[in-house]
Amino acid sequence: MARNQEALTRIRVRTRRRKAASTVAISMGVIALALVTVPSVWIVAQVAWKALPHMSWSVITTPGVGLGGGLENEIVGTLMITFGVAVVAGFIGVMSGIYLSQFARGRAAGLLRGASEVLAGIPSIVVGYVGYISMVVTFHWGFSLGAGLITLSAMVVPYIAKTTEVSLGQVPSSYVEGAEALGLKPGQILRTISLRSALPGIATGLIVALAIAVGETAPLLYTAGYSQNLPHVALTHSPLGYLTYAVWTFYNEPSTRAVQLSFDAAFLLIVLVLALIAASRIIVARASRHRETA
Amino acid sequence: MKNNYLGKETHGMAPKRPLLAAGLMGVAGLAASACGSSSSATTTSSTTATTAASATTQANAAPNYAATETPPTANVALQETGSTLLYPLFNLWAPDYHTQYSNISITTAGTGSGTGIADAASGTVDIGASDAYLSPTQTGQTPTLINIPLAISAQEIVVHIPGVTQQLHLTGQVISDIYQGKIKYWNDPAITALNSGVNLPHLAIAPLHRSDSSGDTFLFTQYLSKADPNGWGSANGPQFGTTVAFPAVPTALAEQGNGGMVTGCAQTAGCIAYVGVSYASQASKAGLTLAAISNQAGQFLVPTAAGIQAEAKNFIGQVPANEAISLIYGPGATSYPIINFEYAIVNTKQSDPNKAQAIKAFLTWAIDPAHGNATSYVSQVNFQPLPTSVATLSLAQIAKIGG
Amino acid sequence: MASDLARRTEEPQAPRVFRPTTKSPLGPVKIASAVSAVAPLLALLAILGILVGQALPAVKYNGLGFFVHNVWHPGNFYLQPVTTNGVLHPAQAEYGAWAIIVGTVLSSLIALVIALPTSLGAALVVSKLLGPRVRSALGVFLELLAGIPSVVFGLWGTLTIGPLLSRDIYPIVAKHMPDVFILRWFRGSTGAGEGLLTSGIILAAMIIPIIASTSRDLFTQVPKLTEEGAEALGMTRMEVTTKVTMPWVSAGIIGATVLGLARALGETMAVAMVSGSVLGTLPTNIYSTFNTIAATIVTTLDSALIDGTGLAVRTLAEAALALMVVTLLANVGARLLVRKVSTTALPVGRGV
Repeated sequence: MARNQEALTRIRVRTRRRKAASTVAISMGVIALALVTVPSVWIVAQVAWKALPHMSWSVITTPGVGLGGGLENEIVGTLMITFGVAVVAGFIGVMSGIYLSQFARGRAAGLLRGASEVLAGIPSIVVGYVGYISMVVTFHWGFSLGAGLITLSAMVVPYIAKTTEVSLGQVPSSYVEGAEALGLKPGQILRTISLRSALPGIATGLIVALAIAVGETAPLLYTAGYSQNLPHVALTHSPLGYLTYAVWTFYNEPSTRAVQLSFDAAFLLIVLVLALIAASRIIVARASRHRETA
Repeated sequence: MKNNYLGKETHGMAPKRPLLAAGLMGVAGLAASACGSSSSATTTSSTTATTAASATTQANAAPNYAATETPPTANVALQETGSTLLYPLFNLWAPDYHTQYSNISITTAGTGSGTGIADAASGTVDIGASDAYLSPTQTGQTPTLINIPLAISAQEIVVHIPGVTQQLHLTGQVISDIYQGKIKYWNDPAITALNSGVNLPHLAIAPLHRSDSSGDTFLFTQYLSKADPNGWGSANGPQFGTTVAFPAVPTALAEQGNGGMVTGCAQTAGCIAYVGVSYASQASKAGLTLAAISNQAGQFLVPTAAGIQAEAKNFIGQVPANEAISLIYGPGATSYPIINFEYAIVNTKQSDPNKAQAIKAFLTWAIDPAHGNATSYVSQVNFQPLPTSVATLSLAQIAKIGG
Repeated sequence: MASDLARRTEEPQAPRVFRPTTKSPLGPVKIASAVSAVAPLLALLAILGILVGQALPAVKYNGLGFFVHNVWHPGNFYLQPVTTNGVLHPAQAEYGAWAIIVGTVLSSLIALVIALPTSLGAALVVSKLLGPRVRSALGVFLELLAGIPSVVFGLWGTLTIGPLLSRDIYPIVAKHMPDVFILRWFRGSTGAGEGLLTSGIILAAMIIPIIASTSRDLFTQVPKLTEEGAEALGMTRMEVTTKVTMPWVSAGIIGATVLGLARALGETMAVAMVSGSVLGTLPTNIYSTFNTIAATIVTTLDSALIDGTGLAVRTLAEAALALMVVTLLANVGARLLVRKVSTTALPVGRGV
């Protein structure tokens, strides 16, 4: 150790500088942490600040009229689209996840998995463009719930598939082996053991996917279209409104009421998304507590 | 034909100003709010009442609205999409029409003129709304597509120069140079020469244009093309269209919709923008100043009832059977140079006879001065009713809708 | 938390469940699930196929110059359409995407320059200095940030932070920035808040969740023993980080960064609301108004429909295709890289 006395001296001289550099680095890290947390809090607070003073029941219970009225048509539309995505993307996504975790092998599995992940990375407006050209124009569906929810589903299926696959993969193999030893058939094992214990994870993935669907705009603009009437329960030939559209069209209008509606819609969106995130967290917390005690 | 309008008056829908009552011939009363708002009536409108009153009236027989105004007895749901400028008017019409004929329901959507035309062409919707008439590119693709004028609209030029409240005078040439980046500051000699007595600051001009396809861009660039034929309108210039390649100006801004133009201009000191008259009150509320622009005779005007009537009169006799005509930059000292027809785009080829009949009935109802074209409707969005001779042509086009 | 479920575990290495060797009653489930699993692949192929089919005439008409020229002229619809190279188009139509390509790349790079150090700093502090409780609290913020809809970011950007920056910050920066090399870009007219820098800041906030959450997970995976050993050798905390922790996870962080970049490149609504939306104009400084490929598609698809020959819509398909190819390459590259070197999978979708 003392072989190189000279070097040791040099190091001692540098120590103070190194320590100082480290402190600076740590404080920059803390600043970075602040920068990461500030925008989300700022946005939520700002939107609430601008929306709450004039929020009233009538905003939720009356449909839009020109640049005024309420957001009932958009709220109902968003709920319909989200419900549709839950059904369509939920089914395809969960089934896809089951296949990837239970049956898929080798290269084919890699290909399917890869395709799914890549699909999730396609810019939303590109998916929207294709949805418009194919369903709205070529299939003559017109602006419609069907075109909108299929376009959105294409975007969130990969997410649901991934969480389902991962959740199923995390089912302790001892559960499955035990069930096999008891003579349960594969179908029963999947239903009663694997899916049941993976359920919290699957539900969480589905909920977060819905949160993404609630907040999307670009894929819906040219597929679901827009209408200030209350949406009809029809898959095709009936455009409908949704909350993100209200934010996008009203914010820039030279009317106080329109800008207020824009913030109201943004506020409702944030509340919906927060509620969904909270739900997913509660499910995870419950599931992990359950697992620990089990 | 006057009877139609007079009849309407007796129904309690009289224009609010004597000036307009005097102007009740080819073009009946302008939107009360456009003429009543802000400074719009200040410049040259005082002399126009008499001019308008002495204008020739069309000799056509009264249009026969009744022939196509009966809707089918079956339940029909019509869909309309398109121009955001026409959207508010359709929103007034649709519920009232449904009240009158409960078996006909009309869904409206303000999606932009482009979607309106494309959807009408593809049959996705029944009625498209557009601020611009159809172009050969569209009629070439879909020969059965027609454009039917429903009302008359106009466009105003507004500026936002802090500290300057006087009404600026701008020629088409100057505006063209501004949008080409040749005039960069408000105190440019070309501008000060037109506005002696106004203390213009050395402030960069920010020319605003529309980022979406727009009938307003169509009108505005057509005005520039005609007022500056050797620059803007030349073969190498930007020319006109619903979307044009605006010259690259570092301070330029593009905005979505008329609303975006108003709010964008209000946020940007030094801005100049073109806005549909249906946004006149919002523009003045946002603190934007109306500019008087030069017409073909070299007079500086702001949009007024009389100015629009005088301009429309220039063209009414020339409207072709397909009604695709520009109403921009006509002669006459009192003619406001930027006005246009608002169109319904319809495919004459309809597979469902009930639907065809419903479209015919609704459009007829819309242009009937006793119903949809009554001042009580059009004045709410600052439009002008159709002149009778144009309504006659529109009826002839409506009659073509069928199988 | 779902994110952790998705991220923390790579695909199950070996099937831990059962291997149905014979024909089992699982048949229908297997078939239905197989069909579902193929659906994303089919959707991907359909999107590619439709885009290529749409774009082909535009590619033929616009030529390779599309990617290097700077002009956006839909042509004069009111003249008779013309046929060139077998493609019907409006007279005088001319398209070149150079300005929107530059705008897309620049705004995303600005976003990365802001988001990368911020995310890394925050992730390091959280995973190395603070306890697991704070770590999960950061998770809440990141999830919230990832969950806030794009239009709400845009709303905040255009009505709050853009005007604020352009009023109080940009003019000061522009005034004091020296007139040298890259800093010259910070000088000049600062505009009204819509432009490159504002968009970059908004985009940064949107991609921070992807980079921060992935790097946080990566950092917690670095073996404690190695880091403690380095510290025992006398390294300061910063040196441990730069010499031990970072090299250990660098490939993963590069992957996450590329994924964040892909997301920024494709972001649509927020940018459309704060870019200024000008077409065919190259930015002259960092505050200039501009446009991106994605924002151009969303704001001009409606206008493009006016072109009866369809060239405008097809040109947007060409732009979309270019954007998609770039984001696909980024996605696939990032995932391959990370899969090779790390047990942490990259987040799928928005990286919640």
